[in-house]
Amino acid sequence: MRRLIDFVVRFKNYITLCTLVVMSFAFMSVGSLSQLGGFRAVIVGSIGWMQSLFAWIPNPVALKSENLALRELNLQLAVESARSRQSMVENATLRAMLELPAYTDYHLIAADVVGKTTTQLRNYATINKGADDGIQEGMCCITDAGLVGIVIGTSPHFAVLQLLLNRDMRVSAKVQRTRVDGIIQWEGETFLVLKNIPRSLDVQAGDAVLTSTYSAKYPPNVVVGRITQVSEEANSLFRRVVVEPAVNFATLEQLFVVDTRSNAERAEIERRVEDHLKQRTAP
Amino acid sequence: MAVKFDLNRSQFITNPALRFVAYAVVALLLNVVHVVFLRFVAVSSVTPDLLLILTVWIAVVEGQFTGMIAGFLFGLLFDVVSADVLGSNALAKTAAGFVAGYFWKENLSLQTIGNYRFLFVVALAGGVHNLLYYFFYVRPMQISFGMFFLKYGVATTLYTTVAAVFPMLYVNRRKDQ
Repeated sequence: MRRLIDFVVRFKNYITLCTLVVMSFAFMSVGSLSQLGGFRAVIVGSIGWMQSLFAWIPNPVALKSENLALRELNLQLAVESARSRQSMVENATLRAMLELPAYTDYHLIAADVVGKTTTQLRNYATINKGADDGIQEGMCCITDAGLVGIVIGTSPHFAVLQLLLNRDMRVSAKVQRTRVDGIIQWEGETFLVLKNIPRSLDVQAGDAVLTSTYSAKYPPNVVVGRITQVSEEANSLFRRVVVEPAVNFATLEQLFVVDTRSNAERAEIERRVEDHLKQRTAP
Repeated sequence: MAVKFDLNRSQFITNPALRFVAYAVVALLLNVVHVVFLRFVAVSSVTPDLLLILTVWIAVVEGQFTGMIAGFLFGLLFDVVSADVLGSNALAKTAAGFVAGYFWKENLSLQTIGNYRFLFVVALAGGVHNLLYYFFYVRPMQISFGMFFLKYGVATTLYTTVAAVFPMLYVNRRKDQ
């Protein structure tokens, strides 16, 4: 016993330290002050009362830092808000695009537009899918809204599209309501023109324009746009039909490349007939 | 009631019970000051730990054993008053009292307090205190303890050390008189 007392006296500081540490951990394991029940309410009430007595004293340092924190928070919230709006728009676009493969029989390759080139009257776009993804020249590009353009060049990981808003584009199209055929062309601005529509045929503003089954490049019945204006051209047998593109090229971010390479057999017979006609007409 | 606080001849020197009562009263006052007034001197939400200075003072004057007990009680009191996790400050201040107790020298305590050595002891005890306190503070959170300690632990230790200059100068001045 004596030895025990001597031990305790000799190491009382360490024993006390250990005891207090254990007690501290025991208190910590209790968790929050709420475990103390009504005692907490008394303490919090008293502290709150004392703090309220001196709450009128301004604290410039705290106000300054609070102001700074609020500014930073404001900036963060502004960025978050912009991101949120962007996500909502993107979400709506992607949702609409997700529905596209369900009502088309074509094999679609999804791609993001990573660049747009506007050189005078030639508009191109670059997408982040290329030959390695199965994309080849001549493939058509669409969105859930309608026709975008055609692939004119590929690299292993990228492809360049010729957009509808390009002077070199010619699309065989038809008016959905009356099946009147014409050629879609771009002549500048943000609209297209449906060419070769005789005055006698029924074409009205509001009619939808689709790709024609005559086209070897584009799959049939893809929406090109909607007629916005029909006017008579002076000294001409044809009408001037203005078509608003279905796709908004200014906000084009995602699209599908349609895996419809032109039918080789069809191309071959068309070529042979053309050659035959040339030979017959040759002197 | 005006209390004459003569460090050389007052009853505080000779009567330990009176001294402990005085420590308790000062601790209570410092708790109130901490909770109510210290926000006015907060720099980027960092405030000096006045109770830690009192703990170090007691450990240097009374010894390691008393310092630890005082640290534990003051910490527990502060946990209750500040609505902190019960036991976190108690643990940290117990450790601080233990560390500061190593600098206790019988009959030479006032020399220690009225000297730059006191600042060193406060800084050392404060470092240990904040190391433990912030370790348990950040444990439930997904943040790096190292970065948090460097940002707040070191800053709090420095601020506490700066605040410890005032008792040091006070004792130094009284000692000279």
